[in-house]
Amino acid sequence: MTGILELRGVSQAYRLGRRSPFVTASYLQVLSNVDFAVRTGQAVGLVGESGAGKTTMTRILTGLERPQTGQVLFDGKDLWEMNAVERLEFRRNLGVVMQNPRSSLDPRMPVGSSLLEPLRSLGIDCDHVARVNEVIEQVGMASSVLGRYPHEFSGGQLQRIAIARALMTRPIVLIADEPVSALDVSIQAQVLNLLMDLVTDLNLALMLVAHDLSVVAYATSRVSVLAAGEIVETGQPLELFSRPKSKATQDLVAAVLTMEAGLAGRGLD
Amino acid sequence: MRLNVSLIIGAILTFCAISIAVVSTFWLPYNPNLPNIPNRLLAAGSAEHWLGTDVLGRDIISQLMVGARTSIVVGAGGATISLVLGAIMGLIAAASGKIVDETISRVADIMLSIPGMVTALVLAATLGSGALTTIFALTAFFTPSFTRVARSAALSVLQEDFITAAQLYGRGRIFILARHVFPNIAGVLIVQFTLYFAAGILTEAGLSYLGVGVTRPGISWGLMLSEAQNQVGVSSPLAMWPGLSIVIVVLGLNLMGDGLRDVLDPKLSKSIL
Amino acid sequence: MTDSAMDVRDLFVGNGDLQAVRGVSFSIPVGGRMGLVGESGSGKTLTALAMMGLLPVGWSTEGRILHDGVDLSCQSDSQLSRRRGRTISMVFQDPLTALDPVRRVGHQIISLIRRHSDAGKAEATEQAKALFRQMNLPRPAQMLRAYPHQLSGGQRQRIMIAIALACYPQLIIADEPTTALDTTVQKQVLRTLDVAVRERGTALLMITHNLPIIAAICDTVAVMYAGRIVEAGPVAEVFSKPRHPYTMGLLRSQPTMDNIALDGSSRLPSIRGTVPPLQDLAIGCAFQPRCEFATDKCRLETPKVIEGLSCWHPIVLDAEE
Repeated sequence: MTGILELRGVSQAYRLGRRSPFVTASYLQVLSNVDFAVRTGQAVGLVGESGAGKTTMTRILTGLERPQTGQVLFDGKDLWEMNAVERLEFRRNLGVVMQNPRSSLDPRMPVGSSLLEPLRSLGIDCDHVARVNEVIEQVGMASSVLGRYPHEFSGGQLQRIAIARALMTRPIVLIADEPVSALDVSIQAQVLNLLMDLVTDLNLALMLVAHDLSVVAYATSRVSVLAAGEIVETGQPLELFSRPKSKATQDLVAAVLTMEAGLAGRGLD
Repeated sequence: MRLNVSLIIGAILTFCAISIAVVSTFWLPYNPNLPNIPNRLLAAGSAEHWLGTDVLGRDIISQLMVGARTSIVVGAGGATISLVLGAIMGLIAAASGKIVDETISRVADIMLSIPGMVTALVLAATLGSGALTTIFALTAFFTPSFTRVARSAALSVLQEDFITAAQLYGRGRIFILARHVFPNIAGVLIVQFTLYFAAGILTEAGLSYLGVGVTRPGISWGLMLSEAQNQVGVSSPLAMWPGLSIVIVVLGLNLMGDGLRDVLDPKLSKSIL
Repeated sequence: MTDSAMDVRDLFVGNGDLQAVRGVSFSIPVGGRMGLVGESGSGKTLTALAMMGLLPVGWSTEGRILHDGVDLSCQSDSQLSRRRGRTISMVFQDPLTALDPVRRVGHQIISLIRRHSDAGKAEATEQAKALFRQMNLPRPAQMLRAYPHQLSGGQRQRIMIAIALACYPQLIIADEPTTALDTTVQKQVLRTLDVAVRERGTALLMITHNLPIIAAICDTVAVMYAGRIVEAGPVAEVFSKPRHPYTMGLLRSQPTMDNIALDGSSRLPSIRGTVPPLQDLAIGCAFQPRCEFATDKCRLETPKVIEGLSCWHPIVLDAEE
C-alpha cells in the first residue's frame, strides 16, 4: 500500500570534523534505510527517544533536507526530481505544526498576518480575508483575535493558531511534530481532539510525532518506532504497546508512568 | 506601560540637541565666524550675547549651535552608515555557510582590534581633516561592532520555529532575512545605534580638539574647547560651554539607549507564572 | 509546630495589582510527601518561591510560612539565604540554567557542604562522592570534575537533587523536575529522588501538572486553580474519587491506554474554556465559567474550604462510574 507522502529506503548521514586529505572522514549515521508512509484519511504516529532521528526524518519528509539515499515521494513523485511547479503544489498540499507555539509565530507580526503568509507566499488565488476567517473559526477561535500579537495569547490558543496556519492552503497532508507536549494537561486534550476532528472532517493524512505513547495511542491508528535511525517496529498502537517486540519499544513502554500503577504502589517500577 | 524615566529624559535631551542643530541651518543670532574685536571676551549674561563672546569676539551661542549641527551630523552619519553596513554583513554572516561566516567574523575581529582613535588619526593624516574624514573613520570603527551584534542576534532568531515555518511555505532566504529576522533584531540594533551615536559625538569632539577633525570655518565643540584652552586663566567659562554641551548630549543619548533597552526587552519576555 | 516540616497558613502572594496566590493553606508532616497540582496560572510556582524567599522583585506575601520553628515570611534576606540549602531546598525544572556553567559541578556541592558544616575540603569531597554514588551517577570522582554542559539532562537533574539533599534538609521542593527530560530518563530520576528522600526522612513537595507522577510518588495532593486550593487529600482518595469538577476534568483529560476505541472515534473529555487571566477572575468560584455543574451560588460566593474541598457542588460519583 502506498501513501500520499512516503519515504522509501531513506538514509541520512552527517559528516563530522574538518575536511582534510590526510584524515578519513567520519560520518554520523542519522537514518538508515527508513520506509515510512502517511496515508489519506489516516493518522500515523512516530515515536522514539530523543536522538533517535525523529527531527531529521520530519525535515526530510517536509523537503527541508535532502536524504543521502532513498526517495521522498509525494503522490508518487520524488520531491527532488520535481520542477518548480510541482514543488509549489507540494508545498501547498503540506501543512506543518511544530512543538513550541511561542516559537512558531513571528512575535513582531499580528496573528492575522502570520495566517495570511502561506496564501501570499504560495500564490493562492482566493479571497484571502474570507479564507482566514473561515479557518480561524474551524480551529475554534474568533476573528477578533486576528489583530493581536502572539504574546497576548496562551500556549493552547497559539497552538490553535499554528494549526490554522497549517490549514490555510487546504493541505492534504498535515505533519504535527510534538503538537501538545508544550501545553498544559487540560489543553492537550482540547488540541488533540481538534486534530482528530480535522482528520475526519477534512480527510487529511496526519503524521503525529510524539514522545507520549498514550497520546499516540489515542490519536493514531498506526505507529512506527524509530530507534537509532531505524524503524524497528510498526503496528497498531495498542497492540504494539501491550506486546512490544523490539527492545526500543519495550524501553519506551517501560518508561510510561500510569495513574493506575501509581495508585497501586508500583508507579516507579 | 510603566513610564521609563531614562528614556523620557534621554529623549528630551536628544530632541533638544537635534532641534538646535536643525534651527542652526537657517537661523543664527550672529555670524559665528565673524570677529568682533571690540566685544571680545564678554562675560556671560550680557544683553546681546547671553553666553558671552570668545577671544575674537564671536558669539558663543551661535558657535554652540553650529557645533551642535556638526556633532549631530557626524555622530548620526557615522552611526547610521555603520548600522546599515553592519546589519547587512551580520545578517549575511548569520545566514551563510561556515566559510562566509568565518571570513566576515574574522575581518570584523581584526578591524575591532585596531583602536578607533588610531584609525581616525591615520585617516586624517592621509585624507585630510574634516567632517567627512571623521565620518569615514567612525564608520570603519563601528561597522564591525554592528556586524557582531547583528550576527549574534540574527543567529538566535534563526533558531526559532517561525523561520522554519516560513521556509515550509516557500519563502526564500532573502525574504526571511528582511521580513522575519531583521524586524526581530531591530530593537538590539536601535539601542546600539544610540550608544554609538553618542560615541561618535565624543570621538568627533576629541579629533577636532586635536586639530584633525573639523577646522574653521567649520565649528565643532571640540574645536571650541581647544581654542578656549588658551583662555583658561583669563576667561574660564569659555571652556565650560562646549564641554557642558558635549556632556548633556552624550548623557541624553546614553540615557535614551538604556531606556530603550529596558522598554524593548519585556515585550519579548515570558511571564513568570 | 515541630511535628510538621512545613505549615503554610493563608498565604497570599501578589505584586500590588494582581493576587496570584489567594489564601493557600496546607501542611506537610515530617517525612511526608505532598503533591501540588496546577496548570499555568494556578500560582503553584509562586507558592514555592514564596516558601523559599525567592519571589521576584515587586512580589510580596501575606500569611504565615511556618518551618523549623520560625515563620519564614518574617525572616530577612540574609536569614533566608543562610537557611536555603540547609533546612529547605529546591530543585528547578531546567538543570542547565540552575547549575553554574563555568564551574565544575563538584564545586557547587562541595562549597555548599562546607558552608553549612565544619567539614574541610577533603571531607566534603568524600561526602559529595558518596552523594553521587547514592544518585547512581557513574564514576563519582570524575563526575565531580565535569562541567554541566558535558553531562546529560538526567545526570544534571540528579546532581541538582544531590545538591538539594546534601545538607539533609527537612523539606525539598521539586518544581516540575522531570518536565524537561526525556521520558525514558524521567522514571530513573524520580526513582532516585524517591529513594534519597525516603532514606533521609526528608519531606517532599512535588509540584507538577503531570498527575501520574504524583500518583507514583506522593501521599497527599492539593489541586490548585487560579491561586486557590480547590481540593486536597490523600492521593488515593482524590485521584480515584475526585470531588471537585476541576480535579475530575483533569483526571479525565489524561490520555490513557485503556478505554480507547480502536476505530479512532474516541475523543478525550476536555474541560471547555481556558484558565482566565488573573485580572479577569470572576467573583465567587474562579472555576465556575468552565464548570458544567455551576449554580447561582457558585457565581456569587467563593466556596469555603470544608474538609479539603472548596466547592458548592461537589461531585458524588455513582456506583456505575
